Amino acid sequence: MAPGIEANQVYEVFARARYEDPLRHVGSVTAPDDELAQVYAKSVYDEWQWIEMIIVPRRAVIRVVQPA
Amino acid sequence: MAAVSEESLKERIASGYLVETPEQMTDQYKADLVRILTVSADTELVSAPAYYHAAQKAPSLNSFVSALAIIQDEMGHAHIAYRLLEDLGVKKEQLIYEREPSQFKYPYAFDVPLETWEELVVANAFYDRAGFVLLGDVFRHTSYGPWKRALVKVDKEENFHLRHGEHWMRRIVQEPGGRERLQQAVDWMFLLTVEWFGLPDDLKKHTGQLSYGLKGSSNDTLRQTWLRTAVPLCEELGLKVPARYDAETDKYAVTCPFPAEFEAKNRRWLLEKGPVTWDDVLRRWKQRGPKNEEFVERIQRGYRELKMLNGER
Repeated sequence: MAPGIEANQVYEVFARARYEDPLRHVGSVTAPDDELAQVYAKSVYDEWQWIEMIIVPRRAVIRVVQPA
Repeated sequence: MAAVSEESLKERIASGYLVETPEQMTDQYKADLVRILTVSADTELVSAPAYYHAAQKAPSLNSFVSALAIIQDEMGHAHIAYRLLEDLGVKKEQLIYEREPSQFKYPYAFDVPLETWEELVVANAFYDRAGFVLLGDVFRHTSYGPWKRALVKVDKEENFHLRHGEHWMRRIVQEPGGRERLQQAVDWMFLLTVEWFGLPDDLKKHTGQLSYGLKGSSNDTLRQTWLRTAVPLCEELGLKVPARYDAETDKYAVTCPFPAEFEAKNRRWLLEKGPVTWDDVLRRWKQRGPKNEEFVERIQRGYRELKMLNGER
């Protein structure tokens, strides 16, 4: 695998388009670092004019209730 | 690995519960899901170079920019599908950059070059409509939760693409010679989209996509859904298409030999030869069309160059 291409870290992407909406899971991206992950999230999930978007490294997610 | 039985999985799906994680799948479910997602991802990805080839013929800077926006959407859709595959343990980089062009699984239509702006907008109206019909069905019916949720965005954007195509067709048809130019595009592109939906139901061998509820409707049903809006659009614009509505069966029937032999070099259907078999069509699909290697090469080129720079190979 060529260095610089490998993007093995998964980031979950959350966003909302309206103030009355909660943050919603809109998808995920992979990136080698936080900075590129932000760029990828913004360019892939551009379907609305978001008022807020956050990304969370998947390894930081703690599952409290598992999907059964 | 599969801890679930075929029986309990089918029961889960039948009672309307979505499948959320690989642990909830049988090996067969996962294999069928990977297959259908790969087709979806490859189709979105190859549409980018295919559309770009024609976008360069845009009549104005504004229209070029709107064509590029559509291409960017398609790249986003490809990303989403490959991302879902990655979570199923498939190696995304390998899939995109290390497969031979002939191993990509996307409709034959994208192997045939779109050479004019007219052909690009007919592709939006025909091909993106096919994508909208196929993915809209998946969106409403699929048993795989992550895919269903990811398609909210895709559904919205594919709808925009086909509106873009319709808008431009309505505009071009009013220009001097516009209808003739559109007709030339429709003449070869219509049947390529009709065959896009795959083997007719009575010949279809893989039934997993339906029995696992990965999608909701059969090939023939989806083909009818496409015809139901594509044919009236063409009729409204005075464009001739080899299909008509049959009130008795409430279905659209293809009125020319179909499936038929396609002469890729001249982008022409050899209808005078009469119908061919679906085996003949499968053979043509497997051999791939004129632009397969060039388009895949365009996608893979940067990766190879970077690898060389890094001293690998």
